Amino acid sequence: MFLQGISQLCFGASYVVALGLELTRTVWPRTWPRWLGLAFGTVGLFAHTLYLLFRAPSVATPWGSLLLLSWVLAIFYLYGAFHHRKLAWAIFVLPIVLILIGLSVVFPQSPDQSFSNWFTGSNFWAMVHGGLLLLAAIGVCVGCAVSVMYLVQARRLRTKSNPGQGLKLMSLERLAEMNRRAIVWAFPLLSAGLLVGIALQLQEEHGQTVWFSWRYLGTAGLWLAFLLLLYMRFAAQASNRRLAILTIAVFILLLGTLVTSHPLPAGGSP
Amino acid sequence: MNLRMIGCNFRTAPVEIREQLAFSDDRIDRALDELVARYDCEAVILNTCNRVELYLARPVVEQPLDADLLAEFLSEFHQLPAATIRPHLVELADADAVRHVFRVAASLDSMIVGEGQIAAQVKRAYERAHQRSASGPLLHAVFQHAFATAKRVRSDTGISRGHASVSSVAVDYVKEVFTRFDDKTVLVIGAGKMGTLTLRHLKNLRPQRITVTNRSPDKAETMAAECNGTAIPWANLDAALVQADIVLSTTGSPEPIVTLARWSNVLAKRAAGAVVILDIAVPRDFDPRIHDGDRTCLFNIDDLKRIQQQTLADRKKHIAPAEAIIEHEQAKFMKDWARRRNGPIIARLTQDVDQKRQEIVLPLLAKLNGRLTEEDKRHLEKAFHLFQSRILHGPITALDEAAHEGQGQTLLEALRKLFHLQELKEE
Repeated sequence: MFLQGISQLCFGASYVVALGLELTRTVWPRTWPRWLGLAFGTVGLFAHTLYLLFRAPSVATPWGSLLLLSWVLAIFYLYGAFHHRKLAWAIFVLPIVLILIGLSVVFPQSPDQSFSNWFTGSNFWAMVHGGLLLLAAIGVCVGCAVSVMYLVQARRLRTKSNPGQGLKLMSLERLAEMNRRAIVWAFPLLSAGLLVGIALQLQEEHGQTVWFSWRYLGTAGLWLAFLLLLYMRFAAQASNRRLAILTIAVFILLLGTLVTSHPLPAGGSP
Repeated sequence: MNLRMIGCNFRTAPVEIREQLAFSDDRIDRALDELVARYDCEAVILNTCNRVELYLARPVVEQPLDADLLAEFLSEFHQLPAATIRPHLVELADADAVRHVFRVAASLDSMIVGEGQIAAQVKRAYERAHQRSASGPLLHAVFQHAFATAKRVRSDTGISRGHASVSSVAVDYVKEVFTRFDDKTVLVIGAGKMGTLTLRHLKNLRPQRITVTNRSPDKAETMAAECNGTAIPWANLDAALVQADIVLSTTGSPEPIVTLARWSNVLAKRAAGAVVILDIAVPRDFDPRIHDGDRTCLFNIDDLKRIQQQTLADRKKHIAPAEAIIEHEQAKFMKDWARRRNGPIIARLTQDVDQKRQEIVLPLLAKLNGRLTEEDKRHLEKAFHLFQSRILHGPITALDEAAHEGQGQTLLEALRKLFHLQELKEE
């Protein structure tokens, strides 16, 4: 009964309060808002985890994949907030968590499942496909968060702001490195996920697939954007600022793909 | 409480006097031993370039130490006339001494308010005394509370935020761009004296390589030898700029040495990483238009000084909240200490009066046995208990208040005599 009472609003509200407290610290530097914010963040993650355990949402549905993605990023937020206690970490990661939770509310919830059903029968390859895309999406989300941090930090340096005041962020070098790693890890996962998806589609529809639907165009666009990002990073030696902007664009494209043309319909099969 | 702070600082004594009164590292232990042996007191010596302060605590019953006595001690120890020392000594007692050490540890009494070194210096001074067994319960309590207060001031106010020296600000900017330095190359252009301190700060980051170039090869060699770097010919400046991650420029050139066009050529040959240029030369060595905050981060002397002024001005805003924390913590400490000292006396007093009450109530109840109900007995006992509490409330409150104002000793003596608590003589 208790678990049934947990809703997206419960943990979403906890994250909102945690974000509010973090923002408070930027104008009112005290220790207690940080700890209170971390407490709310931890409680939110706990409720989020219970919600996922109880509902076992499928990664093959937009609702499930958004909730799982936001859960992984919430862990990323808490790890960073505890580990980098002086940095304005939560201010950049929590909004992404909240955007994902907000989007998940829009989608119809799939019926409750158990985790044992995830990898059985025809679900197996659909789950592999969804799982790979989810991991790639984590890379994009992390890349987006650090790219926003990069742009803010670069702006602070461009305007020669006082390094002892305002938001405390990682160095440009560290942020660029984190962005690079996130993208380099995400690209093969995305490619593999898409290949599995294409194979599933061909098998299910016996070659009767309509390849020019929004679903496929969006996904292909996402993959090409990734490719462009890697090309600019390694071949064209583009500036880190441009790479950061493009990473944010890829994140927006990912959200668009998830929302408008998720490769798998809500039923869980391709 | 019998605590004294006697000493001098940058406000009360010129640097010549402070230099003469300073305890060299190898003589501090001897000074601590002598203070303890001569005055039978707890002692901590805080010895920095801006202050020489002696914190001394004695048992309450003994005569407090004063500046005249300490002037004699310092005179003998440093072989100086006492008359030269005495006018510069400040003496603070009890609550004022506590407030002072709290302010010092929190860097509110520093020449540059909010500087970060003093807290560590106070800690070292206390640890030195502790290792030498020169500190005791009072100084232990005072200094531990001072460290906690300093920490609270730093975390709850912005008093220590940012750096207040040009070279520290320069390093702060470098750290905004880079995280690791063991793969970085620092290029020093020129051999201006202004750059020496900044270079020392940069060296502390442990860069992989330091290269030095100068129009005069001899000066480049000298500078390179000083910083364990490598001298390179002036003609190779562009190639060195292509390789450098951090550039420190301090030439005396009347014209910019790196123009926008020259930098564009350098940039085209550079790898994707950023470069930080600290142009602390006047006139400037680099064209300011090269700054983009991404690949090229250029900071000149005006930028660094502006941040320094901003930081100092910002710290001033945090002085009042920091002082409020100090006042609060000082009052809390005095109250806690008074409670700690008066605790045994109050406990003994309560126990004594309790016993006397029982001596009256129990025979009375026995005498009235059979004529009182159980409820009557309870009422009677309660009434006597209330009477006892009301009688004791006045002396206990007065004792607390007097101790808080630093005048509890007379009252304690009076209480001992009035209630016959002679056996509880304070150590």
